[in-house]
Amino acid sequence: MLQYVIRRLLYSAVVLVLASFLVFMFVTVSGDPLAALKITPNVSEETVQNIIERKHLDEPVPVRYYEWVKDALTNKFGTTLLTDEPILPDLWRVMKNTLQLVLVAELLAILIAVGIGVYSALRQYSVFDYSMTTFSFLGLATPVFWLALMLQVAVVQIYLATGRNVFPIANLNSVDPGEGLSFVIDRAHHLVLPVIVLMVANIATYSRYMRASMLEVVNSDYVRTARAKGLAESRVTMKHAFRNALIPLVTLVALNFGTLLGGVVVTETVFSLDGMGLYFVNALGTNDPYPVMAWLMITATMIIIFNLVADITYGLLDPRVRYD
Amino acid sequence: MAQPILEIRDLTVEFDTEDGVVRAVTGVSYDLAPGEVLGIVGESGSGKSVSMLSVLGLIPKPPGRIPSGHATFEGEDLLTMSSSRLRDLRGGRIAMIFQDPMTSLNPVLTIGDQISEAILVHNSGTSDDDARKRTVELLELVGVPFAERRVDQYPHEFSGGMRQRAMIAMAIANDPAVLIADEPTTALDVTIQAQIVEVLKAAQRETHAAIVLITHDLGLVAELADRVVVMYAGRVVELADVFTIFNEPRHPYTIGLMNSLARLDADLDRLEPIPGQPPSLITPPPGCAFHPRCAISQGRAICRTEVPPLKAVGVQEAPHDSACHFADELANLGAARAGTAS
Repeated sequence: MLQYVIRRLLYSAVVLVLASFLVFMFVTVSGDPLAALKITPNVSEETVQNIIERKHLDEPVPVRYYEWVKDALTNKFGTTLLTDEPILPDLWRVMKNTLQLVLVAELLAILIAVGIGVYSALRQYSVFDYSMTTFSFLGLATPVFWLALMLQVAVVQIYLATGRNVFPIANLNSVDPGEGLSFVIDRAHHLVLPVIVLMVANIATYSRYMRASMLEVVNSDYVRTARAKGLAESRVTMKHAFRNALIPLVTLVALNFGTLLGGVVVTETVFSLDGMGLYFVNALGTNDPYPVMAWLMITATMIIIFNLVADITYGLLDPRVRYD
Repeated sequence: MAQPILEIRDLTVEFDTEDGVVRAVTGVSYDLAPGEVLGIVGESGSGKSVSMLSVLGLIPKPPGRIPSGHATFEGEDLLTMSSSRLRDLRGGRIAMIFQDPMTSLNPVLTIGDQISEAILVHNSGTSDDDARKRTVELLELVGVPFAERRVDQYPHEFSGGMRQRAMIAMAIANDPAVLIADEPTTALDVTIQAQIVEVLKAAQRETHAAIVLITHDLGLVAELADRVVVMYAGRVVELADVFTIFNEPRHPYTIGLMNSLARLDADLDRLEPIPGQPPSLITPPPGCAFHPRCAISQGRAICRTEVPPLKAVGVQEAPHDSACHFADELANLGAARAGTAS
C-alpha cells in the first residue's frame, strides 16, 4: 500500500508539471493582460514598461513559463500583475472559507443522504421511497443559482411580511462579527443558506447512489447467508449490507470533495462569499493571469490529492482491492 | 419411517409480480426423517429451492407469501412461529448451504469472522477466542489446509471449492439437526464437486444431521440421497427411495429426466431431451402441468382437465408415490428401459 501511495505521488508530480505547463500556455495565449491598461488614459508608458519588465512579459514564452514557475515555487505563487501584491495570503484566506462551507455542507449532505438511501432501499416502493425519488429528481433538476436566488427572495419576503431577518442573504460575516463564540455563531448564521443550496444537489446525488448500492447489496447472496445464519435483521443490515453498500459512495464523495474545494463558483457568487469560486471569478474579471493560474494549480492539486484519497479509502474498505 | 424431524404439509408459495401471481410451490408435502438424505430434484423454477427457503423465512415478503401450509420442525410450525424463534433455529438447528460460494460469502469480512459469527450468535456465552478455536477446528474438519492461517483470509483468497468448504463449516458450526444444501455443487467444476460430496458426507457423519439436498444433478442424488422428491412446476410429481426412483420411475417427467442423462454405462449417440419448455408458473397448463411435454398422455382428455393427485403406486414395500393419471402404464417401462441400458 505504502509503495502504491509513493508511486502515485510521484506520478501526481508529473501530472502537476504537465498541468502547470498547460495552464500557463492556455492563459498566455488568451491575450495580452495589459491590453486594457495600455489604452487607459493617464497611464504612463513607463508604468506599463515597469510591469512588463517585472513580469518578463517581453521574453519568449518558455522563459516566461520558467520565471512563473520559479516565482510560484520560491515566492508563494508570486504577486499580482498590476499591484504587485502577494497572491498567497488572499488564496489562503479564500481556501479556508471555501473549506468551511464545503465541509459543513458535505458532511450534512452525506449523513442525510445515507439515511435516505438506506431507508429507501429497505422500504423500496414505499411512500417515503417515492417521495425521496421525486425530491432527488427535483434537486438535480434545479439550477443552483435559481435555488439560491429563491432562498434569498424567500428571506426578503419574510422580512417584509414580519419584520424579522431570519438569515443573512450575503457575505460570510456581519460588519462587526465580534470575537470567539459570537464570531462562530455569526459565521454559522451566514452559512445557513449557502449550505442548504449546496446540500440539495449533493443529497439528491448521494441518496440515489446509496439507494442503488444498498438495493443491490440487500438482495445479494451473502446477505441471505447472513440471514440463514440466524443473525438479527439489524445486524444483517448494519454489518453485512451497509458496509458493502457504502463503498461506492465513499469513492464518489472523495472525488467530489476534491472538485468542490476548487470553490463553488455559483453559490459563492450569489451569496457574495469570499471563497475560492468568487476569487476565481474576480481574477478573471480583472484580467490578471497570475491569480487565475494560481487558482488553477491549487484546484488541480486538490483534485489529484482527492483522487488518491478515493483510491486509498477504496482499498481500505474493500479487501479485494490491493495495490501492489 | 421413524418420526419425521421435518414435516412439510400442503405448502403453497406465491410471488406477486408485474405479470401476475407466480405460484412457485403448490400444495407440496413431504417428510424428512432424522439422519436421512432427502434429494429434491427438478429443473430450474420447479420450486425446489423456494419450498425450503420459504419455510425458513428466507424469501422476501413481499412479493412472496405463503397462503397455506405447515412446516413442522420438532413439533413446532416454522410458518407460524415468531420471527425471533425462527431466527434461533436458522443457523442453529437448521442450517443452509447455498449454491454459489462465490457470491454467498461476504467479500469484506474474513472467512473466520463469518464462521465465528455463526457460532457467537447461537452461543451467547462463547468468548471470541473460543469461537476462533472452534472455527479453525471446523475448517480442518471440512478439509481446508493451513486452517490456522487461512481463517484470517478473505473469501477472494479462497478458491471456489475452498469457499464451499467454508460454507459447509459455517453450516455445521452449531451441530444442526437439518442441513439444507441448495445446489451445493452446481457452481463448481466436476473434480471439485466430487470433493465437496465427500465433505458433505463427512459433515453428516460429524453432525448426524438430516440433509435436504436440492439439486438438478441426478448423479449427486444417486451418490448421496436415501429418498428422492421429484418436483415439476411447483408440485411434487414423484416420491420414492433412491433405488426405486432410478430403477422404476413411475412418472413420465422422471423418466424424461433419466433419459436425458449422459451415461457411461450405455452406448448412446444422442441424449433424449424432454421436448418443449418448462411451463409458465403464472398461467400453468390446465390439468397436469406436464401434459404438453408428456410422451404418455397422447392427448388424453383427463391430462388436460384434472390435476393428478400424488398417490401410492406399485407393489413394493417401500413407499412410492406418483402424480400421473397413467402411472400404472409405466409399471414395466422402467424395467424395459433398464434392459435397453444394460
